Amino acid sequence: MEIMRLVVTGPVGAGKSTFIRSVSEIEVVDTDRRATDETLMLKKRTTVAFDFGRLQFGTEMALHLYGTPGQSRFDFMWDILIRKAHAYILLVAAHRPYEFRSARRILGFMKQRSQIPMIIGLTHADCPGAWDAENIAIALGYLDANKCPPIITVNPNESASVAEAVIALVQHSMQGCLV
Amino acid sequence: MAITGYLAEFSLAEMFQFLEQGCKTGLLNICTLAGSNTEGQKTHYIWFNQGRIVAAAGSLNQQGLVSMIGQRGWLGDRAASRLAQTCTIGTPMGLCLKAQGALTAEQLKLLFYSQVMRQVCALFELGDAWFQFDAKVPLPPAEMTGLSAPATEVTLAGLRALKDWSALADKLPEPTSALTSIIDGKPQLRLNQVEWQVWEFTNGSVALSAIANQLRLPVEKIQQVAFRLIVSALAEEIPLIAEPIALTPETEPAELSVASTEASAVSQSFLQNLVGFLKGKV
Repeated sequence: MEIMRLVVTGPVGAGKSTFIRSVSEIEVVDTDRRATDETLMLKKRTTVAFDFGRLQFGTEMALHLYGTPGQSRFDFMWDILIRKAHAYILLVAAHRPYEFRSARRILGFMKQRSQIPMIIGLTHADCPGAWDAENIAIALGYLDANKCPPIITVNPNESASVAEAVIALVQHSMQGCLV
Repeated sequence: MAITGYLAEFSLAEMFQFLEQGCKTGLLNICTLAGSNTEGQKTHYIWFNQGRIVAAAGSLNQQGLVSMIGQRGWLGDRAASRLAQTCTIGTPMGLCLKAQGALTAEQLKLLFYSQVMRQVCALFELGDAWFQFDAKVPLPPAEMTGLSAPATEVTLAGLRALKDWSALADKLPEPTSALTSIIDGKPQLRLNQVEWQVWEFTNGSVALSAIANQLRLPVEKIQQVAFRLIVSALAEEIPLIAEPIALTPETEPAELSVASTEASAVSQSFLQNLVGFLKGKV
C-alpha cells in the first residue's frame, strides 16, 4: 500500500477537524474530548490527540490526513506527526488577527523540524474584517513574495473547496521531491 | 483595503512590526474606547512611509507641528504658516523651515522626539483601542519634520517603558518556548543589557524558563524581553516539545499510531492519480 500522509495544522478554531471531515471517505476518527481550559471559550470540544481521515483512491493507494492537536501543550504529538508527514497545510482564519501569532509560532515549530512542502489555507476569508492574503503573509513573517508558500482560500465546510486545497498541496509537493 | 481591528486582539507592537516588515505607507488611526482610560475617547494619528514613522498628531487639522514650534517659542504660528506656504509641495515642513534658516537640525530632532517618540510610545499604555490602517491616505507635509524612525525602534522604546503588561499577557511567548535569531549577525538596534543577555540565547534550544534561571530573573521579565525581540523582528519564538503525556487508548487509537509508520517516498504516478481523483470531487 502506497500512502501519502498530509498534516492539517493551524491555531485553535481554524477549521482543521472540519477540513478533514469534508474530504475523508471514512468516518473521521475523532479523538476529541472535552477541553478544560480557555479553548473551551472558542470550541466546546478541541482536539487533544489528533483527527484522522483517509481517502483511498486505488487498491494500493491512499491519502491519510492528520489534524494536529489544537492546544500547544500537546506539541509532542505535532512532532510525531510532522516527522512522518509528506506535506502539510497551515490553516489560518483570515478574520482573526489575534491568531496570527499562534500561527507563526506553529510555523516556527514546523520549520525547525521539517522542510517538507507546505501551503497556507485561509479560512473565513469572506468574513467581515478578514485580512487579505498579502497582508497575512507579512503577518506570518513571509516578507519576500518569492519565498512565500502558495496561499489559497478554503472553506473547510465544503468538500469541493477542501479537495481543491488538497490538490494545491499535492501539486506543490510534485514540484519538489517527496521523501 | 483598510486594515481594522482592536489592540486587544492585534497589539500595537504587532501592528508596528507588520507595518514595518510590510514597508507600508499610510495612516494608522488609533481610537481609544470610551471608558478605557482617563482621557476619554480620543483618536491618535500616526503616518508611516515605507514602514517608518514620519509623523504623529492628535488631530487631522495639520496644525500639530506648527503648534509645537509655537509652544517652544521658536517661531510664531503665523510666521511658521507663512514660511510654510513657500515650501515646495510635498516637502516636509520641518525640512522646509530648516532650509530657510528658521529651525536648526537640533530643533527638528527635539520636535520629532516630542511628536513621535514621546506621543507614540505613550500609546503602548493603552489596554484596548480600535485601529484602522489606511494605505490610501497621503502623507501630511505640514505635520512632518522630515525625520523618521523605524516602527520597531519606537516599539522597543515603548515596551521598555511599559509598566503594566497585563494587556499583552496572552501575546507573550511561552516559558517553554525558545528563541531563534531571524537576522544575520548581530542586531543593529540598540539593545539594553538584559536584551543583549537574552539575545545570546537565540539559538532555538533554550527555553525562556531556563534563560530566566540562568540570568536569575523572573520568567515574566524574560518573556517580556523575548516579546520585545520578537516584535522588533530580531527573533522568532520556537515552541519546544512539552513533556509527553500518558497516552491512553481513548486518546490515541492504536491502529492510528503514526509513530510506527516510517516515512517513505511517494511516486509521481501516485501523486498524478491522487490529483486526478480529487479533480473528480471538485
